[in-house]
Amino acid sequence: MFNETILIEYLPILIFIVLALGISGAAVIGSLLVAKQKPDPDKNAAYECGFDAFSDTRGKFDVRFYLVTLLFIIFDLEIAFLFPWAISLKDIGMFGFWSMMAFLGVLTVGFIYEWKKGALDWE
Amino acid sequence: MSEFGFLDFNLVPLLPEVFLALSAMGFLLIGVSFGDEARRVIPWYALLALLMTGVLVSQVSFDDAIVLGGMFKADAYSGFVKLLIIGGVMATLGLSMRYLEQEHIDQMEFYVLVLLASVGMMFMVSAVNLLSLYMALELQSLSLYVLAAFNRQSPRAAEAGVKYFALGGLASGMMLFGISLIYGFTGSLDFGTLTASMMVMQPVPFAVIFGLVFLLAGLAFKLSAAPFHMWTPDVYEGAPTAVTALFAMVPKLAALALLMRILFEPFAYLVPQWEQIIIFLAVMSMIVGAFGAIAQSNIKRLIAYSSIGHIGYALIGVAAASEGGINAVLLHMLIYMAMTAGTFAVIMAMRRGGRSVERIDDLAGLSRSQPILAYALGILMFSMAGVPPFAGFFGKLMIFQAAIGAELYALAIFGVVASVVAAYYYLRIVKVMFFDEAVLMLDLNVLSGPQRFILACSVAFVLFFILSPSAFIDSTQLAAAALFPGR
Repeated sequence: MFNETILIEYLPILIFIVLALGISGAAVIGSLLVAKQKPDPDKNAAYECGFDAFSDTRGKFDVRFYLVTLLFIIFDLEIAFLFPWAISLKDIGMFGFWSMMAFLGVLTVGFIYEWKKGALDWE
Repeated sequence: MSEFGFLDFNLVPLLPEVFLALSAMGFLLIGVSFGDEARRVIPWYALLALLMTGVLVSQVSFDDAIVLGGMFKADAYSGFVKLLIIGGVMATLGLSMRYLEQEHIDQMEFYVLVLLASVGMMFMVSAVNLLSLYMALELQSLSLYVLAAFNRQSPRAAEAGVKYFALGGLASGMMLFGISLIYGFTGSLDFGTLTASMMVMQPVPFAVIFGLVFLLAGLAFKLSAAPFHMWTPDVYEGAPTAVTALFAMVPKLAALALLMRILFEPFAYLVPQWEQIIIFLAVMSMIVGAFGAIAQSNIKRLIAYSSIGHIGYALIGVAAASEGGINAVLLHMLIYMAMTAGTFAVIMAMRRGGRSVERIDDLAGLSRSQPILAYALGILMFSMAGVPPFAGFFGKLMIFQAAIGAELYALAIFGVVASVVAAYYYLRIVKVMFFDEAVLMLDLNVLSGPQRFILACSVAFVLFFILSPSAFIDSTQLAAAALFPGR
C-alpha cells in the first residue's frame, strides 16, 4: 500500500540527483560565463601530447570491436548476477540454486554458438 | 524478501514454454554444429517442436496455477491464446520456408529466433506480474528486431530493423516509466496485490493513472495502434515478407491478450479511466487504418494500414469492458490471423523473373493468368472488408454487438463507417486483379506445397466459417470467461 515513508527513503537519491545536476551544471555554465573565450584552430585541435594532431578523432575502426564488446557485456552481467547469488545462496535455497544453473545453461548455449560461429576468432 | 524461502518447484504449468525454449536452444546448437546439413531439417524440426508445444499446452491442466513465485499463471485464457500463437507461428513457418530459399536468407537462425519470439509471446500472455510481463515482452521484441533486419544484404531491411529497434526501445522505456510509477504508488508489481490496492485506494492517486497511461502507450506501440503506429508501414515494407507475415499475425495477438489481462485484472476498478484512452486509440487507429491505406501502392504497406485498422476494431471490443467484448476480440483476432495467413501466401506468390514484386499494380490481370490465386485473394479481401457471408464479417459483427451491449453507440457507428471506407481499398485490389490489363505477367507456380496448403486452409476457413461458427465461438467464450470471472 502507498505510504509516505517509502518516498522518504528515496530522499537521499533525490538530494544526490539535485547536487549532481547542480555541481556539473555550475562547472559547465560557470566556465561558459566567466572564462574568456578566444578560440583559434590550434586551441580547438585535439590534444595529442604536444604534437600536431595526426588524424581526425572520429576515425573508422573494425566492427569486430563491437562484437567483442557485446560478448564482454554478456559475461560481465553474468558476474554481476553471480556475486549476489553466491552471497545469498543459503537463503534462497534449491530454487535459487537451480534458477542460476538454468541461467548459466542458457549463457553456455550462447557461448557455444558464438564460439562455433567464429565470433571469437580475430582473423 | 523472505518469500523466496518457500518457492515451489512446480514447473508443470511451464512445461510448454520450457520445452519450446529448450528446443530453440537445441536447434541453435545443432544448426551451428552441422551447418548446411542441418539447414534442410531444422525448419521441419521447428514445426514439429511447435506442434508438440501445442499438444503440451492443450494437455497441461489449467486450474489457474500461479507458479514461479507469482510470476506466471496458466489459465484457460492464456491456454487458448497460446494455442492461437502456436498456430500462427506454424503458419508463418510454413509460408517462410520456400520464401527464405528464394531470397537466399534461409539460415537456421531464422527458425531459432522465431521460436524464441514464440516463447516470449507465450510468457506474455501468462504474465501476472509487471516484471515477468516486461521480461517476456523484451524476449519477444528483441527476437523480432533481429528478424526485421534478417535480410542483411538489403538496406531497406536494415532500415526497418533499426527503426523498429529505436522506436521499440522508446516504447519499452515509456512502459518501464509507467511501471515504476505504478510500483511507487502501490508498492507492488503483482497483479493480485495491485487489484486489491486499486479496490481500497479510492480515489486512486493521480500518479497511478499517469503510470497506467504510460504503460498503455508502450503497449499501444507494440500493438501498432494509432497514434503509435508510425513504425508499422516502414517495418512491414522493409522486412522480408516472411517476417512481415509473422508481424502481422502473431505479436499483435500476444500484445492484445496481454493488454486485456492488464486492463481486466489489476486495473479492473479503473474502467472509467482507461476506457477513454482505449476509445481514443480505437478511433485513431480506425481513421489511420481506413484513410492511410487508400494512397498506398505497395501491398505490404497496405496490409500494414489494414492491420492498424483491425487493431482499431479489436480495441472497440476491449473498450466494451465486458465478457462479450473479450470474446469478440479473441474471435476477431483469430479470424484476422487466418485471413492474413492466406493473404501473405498470395503476396509470396508475387514474383516476376525470379524476383519478388510488391506493387498492387503487379497483380493486374491475375484473374486470367492464375485464376485460382485471384479468386482466393478476392475472397480474402472481401472477408477483410467484412462482407457477409465470409468470416471477417462475423468478427466485426461480434465486436459491434459488444460495443452496443456496453452502450458505446457512437463508437460502434464509427466502426461501421470506418469499415465502409476501408472496403474501398480492399475492393481496389479485387478490381486490379479482375479488370486491369496486365503489362507483365507474374511467374507461374511459385508456391510450395506448404504455402498452397496454408492458402487453401485460410480460404476454406473464411468460406466455411458460417457453417459452424459455434465451433470457434465456444472456445473463445471459455477463454473470455476465464479472464472475466463474473465481475
